[in-house]
Amino acid sequence: MNVLVVDDGTSLRGYDCGDVMGIEEIPSPPETGDRAEFLVRLGRLGSPKGVRCREIVGFYSFAEPDVHPLPQVVKERMTGEVPWGVGITERGLCLLY
Amino acid sequence: MSSTENSPAGEHVQTGLPVEEKRVLCGTGKRDSEESGPLRSFLEFSLGGQWYAVDLGHARRILRPSPIARVPGAPSEVVGLMNRAGEVLAVLDLEKAMGMKGEVRGPREEGGFVLVLHLGGKEAGLLVDAVEDTWEIPVDKILPVLETVDSARARFFEGTVARDGRFVGILNVSICLNP
Repeated sequence: MNVLVVDDGTSLRGYDCGDVMGIEEIPSPPETGDRAEFLVRLGRLGSPKGVRCREIVGFYSFAEPDVHPLPQVVKERMTGEVPWGVGITERGLCLLY
Repeated sequence: MSSTENSPAGEHVQTGLPVEEKRVLCGTGKRDSEESGPLRSFLEFSLGGQWYAVDLGHARRILRPSPIARVPGAPSEVVGLMNRAGEVLAVLDLEKAMGMKGEVRGPREEGGFVLVLHLGGKEAGLLVDAVEDTWEIPVDKILPVLETVDSARARFFEGTVARDGRFVGILNVSICLNP
């Protein structure tokens, strides 16, 4: 499966490339000296949304052995948006949404 | 490296530890009493200046912590996820699960370990300061949970053992692994 991997500053997140409608750069005010951020626009299931992130890590093609389910002990404790899986990249573990 | 050992209870314990770490898990295996009767085997560890033990049959591995990926939206007791040789392991903070955050506690030792527990198809690692020993004890020497432990925390324990002038809380692994 092909995934766009982004870094939101806390964790790596991965989104199915088929869901990615576009990526916008959000420049930071020059006086702050901060790096620009990005807004990834997703069009999942007719309910578009945007995900803000600090870095576009890149596109990954995950092989099946590198994709794992979210451990049950975590899934049972979560509320809200729950990743459906976890991918292994050289940058670390990536939560798949 | 993986190995299978016979626990005193006759169960097979898949330790999966390198030799030097497996020795920690096997410990001295000493008995606390020469009395006869059914025995249980425990692995003792320390965390925040307290002593805890888990049934050896639920202890799978002892790992050095590697980078842990945080999971946004997870409660604070979920430290995150660890890549363990190509497998994804959930790592939990027992103190936060028990609501001990902010309480006065002893200094945390540098480093520490991840103690991997399993029960009924579920698996998770607990952050611990140090793995102390393994030991056997007659079942009738296991005391009830101390009355000084508040009720919210008491559910995490199935009993208490007095060893070497201190109390060791025996963890209820089912409660630790289930929310």
